[in-house]
Amino acid sequence: MSMNLLYFERFGKPEEEIAIIERAKLNPAHFAPLYKKYHEVIFRYIFKRVDEEEAAYDITSCVFIKAITNLPKYEYRGVPFSSWLFRIAKSELYQSFRDRKAQRTVSIDSMQLGRVMEEFQIDESEHKREVLLKILPMLKEAQLQLIEMRFFEKRSFREIGEILDLTENNAKVKTFRALLKLKELYSKHNNQK
Amino acid sequence: MIKLLVDRQFPSKEAIANRRNFNEILDALPKKKTINSPWFYGAIGFSTVLLLILLNVFI
Repeated sequence: MSMNLLYFERFGKPEEEIAIIERAKLNPAHFAPLYKKYHEVIFRYIFKRVDEEEAAYDITSCVFIKAITNLPKYEYRGVPFSSWLFRIAKSELYQSFRDRKAQRTVSIDSMQLGRVMEEFQIDESEHKREVLLKILPMLKEAQLQLIEMRFFEKRSFREIGEILDLTENNAKVKTFRALLKLKELYSKHNNQK
Repeated sequence: MIKLLVDRQFPSKEAIANRRNFNEILDALPKKKTINSPWFYGAIGFSTVLLLILLNVFI
């Protein structure tokens, strides 16, 4: 099954959404089913990136306000509607970091950290885990974002590309480069010890 | 500075759903400015009539 089919399986058929969007363009009240459908995923995406729960709820609301306001400009071009929402969420997040309303946070699950270590082909130990946690914030924001989406959120390259406005291949290449940079930082930090 | 949070506690599905409020979103939408004042439409009508009269007189 192609990645695209898997993706639509997760978020539903695009035709149904397009019909709702067209109705919502004329009357914002018709946006309710999409708000209900995507509120949680957008909240979780934001919550993982900010330190305060209340800030995450506020930013989530801003995302939907912006989405409804800009809905007349939205055109379906094969990219799922959710990706358009994630892009708005990304820009709202950076706006709140600039306004200092929230602090950039990376929420990591120990299990997912193990996936990165597996990719590095290093055995899991408390010390190595600490080194990895120390070097992660040293990455550039764009690189950290890729590592975060690929390893901590288990997103496909296609989805990453759609959110970051990149092609699937470009997302793959950039993630690989980010991983290389992380490896370089890891060995540098390990050699210093 | 980036903050790393390992094994963070996430709010439950129910807690997130409880914070969902579509009416709040609708209320926060920027209102479209509609001009309801009769003076606005009157002024446009009056200037149109005046312009037509002036065009008739001078051309």
